[in-house]
Order: sequence, then structure tokens, then C-alpha cells
Amino acid sequence: MMRRAACWALLAPLIAVQGLLLVYPVAYAVRLAFTDPLTGAAPTLRNYAQIASDPLFWRAARNNALLPLASVAVELLVGLTLALWLSRRFRGRGALRLLVVLPFALPEIVVLTMMRYVFLPRGYANAALLAVGLPAVDWLVPGSPLAWLTVVLVDAWHVTPVVFLVLLAGLAGIPDEVGEAARLDGAGAAARLWYVTLPLLRPALLAALLLRGVDALRLFATPLVLTGVEGVPVLSSYAYHQWADYGNDAAAAAAASVLAVGSVALSLPLLRQREGW
Amino acid sequence: MRRGLGATAALLLAAAVLLPLWLVVKQAVTPEAESVAWPPTWWPAAPTLANFRLLLASVELASGLRLSLLVGGLTVLSTLAVSFPAAWVAARRPAVDRPLDALLLLARVFPAIALAVPLAVLFVQLGLYNDPGGRGLWLAHTLLATPFAFFILRAGIRRVPSELEDAAQLDGASRAGAVWRVTVPLAAPSIAAAALLVFLVSWDEFAYALVLQVTNRPLPPLLYYFAAFSYPGAASALAALMLLPALLIVALLAPAIRAGGLRGSGR
Repeated sequence: MMRRAACWALLAPLIAVQGLLLVYPVAYAVRLAFTDPLTGAAPTLRNYAQIASDPLFWRAARNNALLPLASVAVELLVGLTLALWLSRRFRGRGALRLLVVLPFALPEIVVLTMMRYVFLPRGYANAALLAVGLPAVDWLVPGSPLAWLTVVLVDAWHVTPVVFLVLLAGLAGIPDEVGEAARLDGAGAAARLWYVTLPLLRPALLAALLLRGVDALRLFATPLVLTGVEGVPVLSSYAYHQWADYGNDAAAAAAASVLAVGSVALSLPLLRQREGW
Repeated sequence: MRRGLGATAALLLAAAVLLPLWLVVKQAVTPEAESVAWPPTWWPAAPTLANFRLLLASVELASGLRLSLLVGGLTVLSTLAVSFPAAWVAARRPAVDRPLDALLLLARVFPAIALAVPLAVLFVQLGLYNDPGGRGLWLAHTLLATPFAFFILRAGIRRVPSELEDAAQLDGASRAGAVWRVTVPLAAPSIAAAALLVFLVSWDEFAYALVLQVTNRPLPPLLYYFAAFSYPGAASALAALMLLPALLIVALLAPAIRAGGLRGSGR
């Protein structure tokens, strides 16, 4: 068997990368967040007090809690519907599966650039409304519920394939005989779905939920590209705004720390559920 | 009746997925004046390659493309070099696997911006910020891509029985020689899949690139910049150019995805 020293030597590069590029910057960010940028006094809560007095921060925090809930809900619902449909056997199924997965093959920034042209005031969505005789809609007005919904839908358009693939794999693991037996016992389609398929699909559903949940918390490019820093702010875009537009490293680090704590806390159940995905 | 429902659903799905994609291709081959006109056209009135010609002649594209390819290529090399030895230890020793798995999962879920901001501040001090050679971004992408590569490689190495390495050692090979001559060739499909995925992660990545390369931009922030300054033709042509390698890589990875080889990598 391998000696201890050899084992450590093989792990050293990976541990060095994680340590120098993840652990050290995080520790540095924590120090930044708790240091007064003007006087250098530490520890201080001044940076947290500063962002807490900024209404934009609270909008960002609220969006960062609600947007992931909404987009994961949409993705699970659409992903499940598509997975149930495309797990049946029929001609053309392969092509349709490919179609469902296609959006996730596109680079995020390409998707967002494209969607911006769709939802701009003089964009294709409004052209389509106009063509069928409906009035144009301002999809991306800063702070509006509609802009919020547009962010959710665009995010769902891009990442529902992840949920779809996880659930499709889960459905493939359920033997046909189970549904067949329930059918012979007189269960209708709805009852079979509710009492047979969904309970058996629970591990896959949970895996999709956690996987997408932690990713949705990091939402950054979608609201930024579609609505700018103030349209539908989230914690990531708020931290970016503080850093890029005000050069305020300390406030950016403070806002980012709130998000990081939330992400890590939410990933703990994912760690425990690890076997399933 | 049932059949009609399925056909309608298929049609709706095709429209929802393909229409936005078509619009970007359409804008790429549409003259700028037509792209900004109202109401917009759904089909180019006079298709042109002018946008591509303009784009390919621009200094930004040449430097952006060079930077994207350079950072992507270097990231593949560094990520595989870092991940393969660790993935091999993890595959062979369950006691090492558990803490490593947890560490990399945490790295995988950590918000990019929460890390990009302190990295930017540190890189300023180290002279790596906005580096024309993209060295800072390369480091960040290595960190980002390591979990993806690690999970794929570990799965690939696990499929190679350790008895084969033992047998090679009985025949006189050293442990390292056994891994090199037996495990690496047998795990080659996983190594290739990991390399492709790592390149794709770097090619597509936006947040670190936006923060760490403010003016020496690789392609993703360059596209953001073009779109923000409303050059629909140039932006769409660039989007179309970025699509091609991404789609090609996904097509190459498709068999691995179908076989479940990428499970847990989150792609």
C-alpha cells in the first residue's frame, strides 16, 4: 500500500491550489469586511453598518432569497413535466430530448445577450405582441415585478436542462412493472403519478432541488446583463457594484460574506445527500 | 386527440428553444441599420457578412480570442495536472476521499463574486490584475474547474480495477509506472472528457473574467461590452462565433453525459 508521504505528495498540488486561491482570499475578504477602510481599525462592524443603511442592499438581500425559490420552483415544475413526457417511448423522443438539453449547451453570456434583445422595449417579444394586436410591455423596468419574473424565466430557460437530466435519470431507474402493477390495481394516471412515481422519484427530486438551489443563490450575470446593477439587484451584483462603481472593497467584501455564509449553509444538506447524485 | 396534443407540445418546445437561437443568428447576418429598426424583422431582408468582417477586423476580437484560447488551454493543463493525482488517491483510498470530496463540493458551490473581489484586490498587489497574458484569470479558472475535473477523473479511475496496477507491479513496474502504463490509458476517455469540460468552463466563464480582466477582455466580457454599447450586429456575430466551439464540445461530450460519466459535476 501507498506510504503516507507519497499520498500527501500527490494531494499537495490540489490542496495548494485550494488553499492559496480559495481559503486565503476568503480569509483576506473576512479581514477586509471587518476592517475600517479609512482608519484601518479592526475589528469593526462599520462596513456592515454601511451596507445595512443602503436600501439597495436590502433589495438585493430580499431578491437573493426569493429569486432562487421562484426559479427553482419553475425549473422543477417544467423539468418534471418534460422528464415525465420524454420518458415515455414514442417516435421522435430522442430529437425532443436533444432540444430540451440544447439551452444548457450555450454559454451563459450568449443566452443573456440574446434574451436582452428579446426583452428590450424595442425587442422581439414586443414585436410578437404587436403582431397579434396586443400592446407592448416594458419587460425590464427597474424594480418592477415583471422584470423580476423575466429574470426568473430567462434563468429557467437556461438551466432547466440540468433538472430535466437528473429527473430523467431518476425516472429511468423506476422499473415499468411498478406502474403496471398499480394500473392493474385500478389506479388512474394521476394516482399513479402521485402515489407511485413521485415517491420513488424523491431522491432525484431532492438532488435536483439542492443542486439547483445552491447554484441559484449565486445568481449574478442574469440580473446584471438583463437589468443592470439596480434593476433586479442580488447580493453578487451588489458586491460587484460596490467594488466596480465605488471602489469600496470593504463594503463589497461585507456584502459578499453574507452571500457566502448563506451558500455554504445551504450546501451542507447537499453534502449529506451526496450519495444520490 | 392525444397525438395532436403531443405534436402541439413538441412544436411549442421547438419554438421556445430555437426561436431565440435563430434571432441571434439572424442578427449576426443582418445589416446594423435593419437590426435597430422598429418593428424588428424575423428574417434578414438583405443577408450580409459585414458584421463578421467588421468583427474579425477589430483589435478587440483578436486580443479577446487570443486571451480566451490561451486561458482555456492553460487551464486545461493546470487543472488536469492538479486533479489527476488527487483523483487517483481519492479513487484508491476511501479515507482520503471523504474529506476531499467535501472540500471540492464546497469549492464548487462557493459564489464566484465573493471570491473574485478579494482575488482582484490581491492580484492588484501581485501585478496579476488585468494581466495582458490573463495569468490572474488562469489561476481563478484553475480553481473553478478543479472540482469538475476531479469528479470526472475519480469516476474514470474507479472503473479501472486496482488489481491491474498490482499486476503491472508484479511484472516489475514501479507504482508510478503502473499508473502511467495501465490506469492512464484505460481512463483516457474520462481524461479527454475532463479536458473538454474544463475548456468549456473556461470558455463560457463570465464573472471572474468581468472582474479580473477589466480592459484586457476575453470573449465573454467582450460580448457583454459590445451588447451594452448597443452594437447588435457585432454582438450577435460574436455570440454566434462563441456558440460554435461550445456546441462542438457539448456534442463531443454527449456520449459521456449519456453514460452518466459527468454525474455530480453539475454540468
